Amino acid sequence: MRTETYEPHLMTVAQVRDETADVRTLRLTFTDPALADSFAYRAGQFAFYSAFGEGESVFCIASSPTETGYVECSFKLTGKVTSALRRLSEGDVMGFRGPYGNSFPIDEMVGHNLVFIGGGIGMAPVRSILVNCLDRRSEFGDITILNGARSAADLVYRDQTDAWTARSDVRCVKTVDPGGDSEGWDGEVGLIPHVLERLAPTPHNTKVVLCGPPIMIKFSLISLEKMGFSGEQVITTLENRMKCGVGKCGRCNIGGAYVCCDGPVFTAAQIAALPQEF
Amino acid sequence: MSPTTYLADSAQAVLTAILAAGQRVVAPVEQAGLLAFAHVEQAEQAQLIGQTRASAKELAFPRTQRLFGYRFGNPGVELLPGEEPPAPTVLFGVRPCDAAGLAILDGVFGAEPADAPYLARRARITVVGLSCDQPQAHCACTAVGLSPTATDGSDLLLTPLAEGVLVEVLTARGAALVDLLGEALRPGAADKAEVTARAEAAMAPRALPAGLADGLAAAFGEAAWADAAARCLGCGTCAFVCPTCHCFDVVDESNLRGGQRLRVWDACQFGLFTLHASGHNPRADQAARYRQRALHKFSYYPRAHGRPMCVGCGRCVNACPAGMDIFEVAATAAAGQG
Repeated sequence: MRTETYEPHLMTVAQVRDETADVRTLRLTFTDPALADSFAYRAGQFAFYSAFGEGESVFCIASSPTETGYVECSFKLTGKVTSALRRLSEGDVMGFRGPYGNSFPIDEMVGHNLVFIGGGIGMAPVRSILVNCLDRRSEFGDITILNGARSAADLVYRDQTDAWTARSDVRCVKTVDPGGDSEGWDGEVGLIPHVLERLAPTPHNTKVVLCGPPIMIKFSLISLEKMGFSGEQVITTLENRMKCGVGKCGRCNIGGAYVCCDGPVFTAAQIAALPQEF
Repeated sequence: MSPTTYLADSAQAVLTAILAAGQRVVAPVEQAGLLAFAHVEQAEQAQLIGQTRASAKELAFPRTQRLFGYRFGNPGVELLPGEEPPAPTVLFGVRPCDAAGLAILDGVFGAEPADAPYLARRARITVVGLSCDQPQAHCACTAVGLSPTATDGSDLLLTPLAEGVLVEVLTARGAALVDLLGEALRPGAADKAEVTARAEAAMAPRALPAGLADGLAAAFGEAAWADAAARCLGCGTCAFVCPTCHCFDVVDESNLRGGQRLRVWDACQFGLFTLHASGHNPRADQAARYRQRALHKFSYYPRAHGRPMCVGCGRCVNACPAGMDIFEVAATAAAGQG
């Protein structure tokens, strides 16, 4: 019978990278070569990752559609599925189903200055659209990147952040919460909304991509509004617990909107119109 | 166009003919003093008066359903098929509320991207509805736009009349079943309006307030939810007996050799339902969870689909250990707004 709604594709773990002590990135390749060729996704979409025997968890696809031949996910150790995924080594097999959800409106971003803001593991969806835009660099105006974490040890994509910092055609800033800096820290110290206000990007012809924990989003939205950004200029993602990805299991809704189908990408204006339950 | 109609001696006689035609039948039977849908082989086993404790949704959306299996290899993993759906089945004696519930589930699970495991089961079910001539004290179908003789979701609808039973053929699947029944059915027509009116008159008067969908949305921040939820135990019984509740969890069951991924019923009244891995919970208290249930049924769903996600069977009111009545709570919350 047809069960493919929930049946994952088998993937081979091609590469394991530790971003921090508890955040790991897995690079996955399709075991079925035909799927590898036909698989397509857009930056911002998410997927379900299976550790057979334990279950599946939802993460965004952290790689960019311009990085072909594999998908990557970055996840933080929190429970039994992420524990099981951390036990996988290169060459091991795991499950993947997706992509699901909508995506960042990259076509609407063309021609604009871009500000990318990621807090903690929220940098994973930012990375997908950011790399996508950097790979099409000439189509965009100024690009500013703000990668923040609780502490220096919690900063993800450190090597890539250094590489972005070294580029002359982007402005890249990393920051840690006050008290989170350690010896040799060469970035900013301060909460993301505060650092953002110090960077003072101009709202003129600018789009902001903002992802991170709910509390960071909440205060960053306040700062952005104060700086003159409209709700339509700020693009963010919502995460909710979900089990199906296809609008059936009933748990990711915020009011009448399902994060799995209507999101995960929303503008700040769209979020303001939703019941405040996220 | 009005549906093709037949007359038969009784609902029992129609069931006898369906069984004689070799059909697999699931119908209400008495089990431990309660009515439940179960496989029947003799027409006499069916209990065609009263309401089953659980709704008819289980045949299409079972409590536990194997989505697929897997075997650990060395190296690799081998995927195994999901459940083989039950043989084609006539679901007999389904009350109009329960049949309408299946129609709502068909919309939810059938919406793209469609849910293959549900559709595989649903495609093998023929629904023979049975109009209510004796409503229960908690019945409320008329409050949600249905009636004791409504046809939504039925392939055939049987309505008991003084002189026998009226058989309405509502779908091609229903017509295919009629073709198997031979002389048990004779072409003929009858008016069911009198039965409908008598059954409706026997029901306690209930109505949803006008503008409830918008009223509830505007009442999102009301204290009424906390008042109501103070009584709610969060047991989830309301969701499990509901013909339209379809929330589910997906879990693995495994050993060292392999395992299976299962879909199991879940309920929005449970605290773990929306708990994030981070510990954050968007619906952190019972007030938020009760509000979600009321708004999904009477605000979010109606705004998108033009009708409540409730068929008025009243099971949730009847089964609630705390005696909660979602119609009352919703009406109170919406009225308190502003």
